[in-house]
Amino acid sequence: MWDVLVRLIPSLELTIKLSLTALIMATPIGIGLGTLRATLRDRSFAARILDSYVLMVRGTPILIQIFAVYFLLPLTGLKIPLYWLGVLALVFNSAGYQIEIARAAVNSVPNGQWEAAAAIGFNRSQLLLTFILPQAARRMAGPVMNELSQLIKASSVLSVITLYELHKAAEAIISANFRFVEVLIVEGFWYFVFVYTLVMIAQRIEGLFSASGGLAEQR
Amino acid sequence: MSLSLTSFLEVMPPLLKAAVVTVEISMLSLAFTCVIAPPLAIARMIGPWPLRFSVLAMVEAVRGVPPLVVIAFVYFALPAIGLTFNGFWTGVTALTVVGAVYAVDIVRSSIESLGRGQKEAAQALGFPVWRAYLEILFPQALKRILPPLTNELANVIKASALLSVISVNEISHVGQGLIFETFIVVEIIIQMAILYLTIVGCLSVLSKALERRLAH
Repeated sequence: MWDVLVRLIPSLELTIKLSLTALIMATPIGIGLGTLRATLRDRSFAARILDSYVLMVRGTPILIQIFAVYFLLPLTGLKIPLYWLGVLALVFNSAGYQIEIARAAVNSVPNGQWEAAAAIGFNRSQLLLTFILPQAARRMAGPVMNELSQLIKASSVLSVITLYELHKAAEAIISANFRFVEVLIVEGFWYFVFVYTLVMIAQRIEGLFSASGGLAEQR
Repeated sequence: MSLSLTSFLEVMPPLLKAAVVTVEISMLSLAFTCVIAPPLAIARMIGPWPLRFSVLAMVEAVRGVPPLVVIAFVYFALPAIGLTFNGFWTGVTALTVVGAVYAVDIVRSSIESLGRGQKEAAQALGFPVWRAYLEILFPQALKRILPPLTNELANVIKASALLSVISVNEISHVGQGLIFETFIVVEIIIQMAILYLTIVGCLSVLSKALERRLAH
């Protein structure tokens, strides 16, 4: 069991790299577009485009999204290394979920906050950046960290495009020695440790954010 | 990248047949999930400690690993303990496990969000604890359970795509096979996406209708 534990470490590193890179790329996109979506009217063209993107991401399995990136991007003539195809698939998926998180967080800031800031004479972009986003960020912190643990789990599906991450590596060991119970338990152990470490960090961050809750925070 | 209607129609019959399999697997897993989650949740809350502990351990373990690992585990482990299922039922079992562990927590947190008064009132009236949970708390919690549960059930439908790795003939397995067989790529991927969107969409329409019924 010990040897399997050690043999899986390089692929665990790849899993960590994939999911962290994807999160770092997807979070600005998701929060940016989600905030934008919250300020748009429901019927505007841009809002409809964003909504259909979110619907598509949330309504189809990640496997199909990975197929789409894996098969369709090369058709455009771009030569993208496998690693980045994997990252792009995860970014495509995660950004969709994060748009929804950011939109909900911004919308949940009470209307009075917008009105108060406008009354003091802030213009719209100042208002958004200095009043609304800091309050919304507090509500986003938890769900976004949660999204990271979803990403880690989603990264296992990248094994179907032969990216040698944790699950693919475990599969390879199983097909070599058939010690499946052992290998799967070790694989599960690594995912578990990684995911729960992040969940714990997420709870700490959430605690930090809500502990510093200012006057604006409604309880 | 150009779309052609003929290729679109050419791959439609096999994909539709696969969609039926996806729907069958999803419906069975959803039904089993809904049946086993409430008793497990109640066992998790008021069961004797060995039961409570084992439900807790199972929930935390499964939630901490990707569904693919659960599928692989069920695929390898069931034959090892003498249960030889075909791919279809292996898939249903794995998806039920995945769905149920998330549903257990949904049911539990909804019941706990009801407030102590309900439980105390039931006990004051002389209900045994488990009957209070099953007959008084659970029905009230149903309204709060439904929206997050729908979300989770949609995840189960989406996770059914992962069964392609154990060669169950559902949409993504058949679609992937067709891509390599016919080299029709764009049309197949679009069609797979449409099929999943439709299935997940039907679920959310059903749940909205049910929610309205419960609201009255």
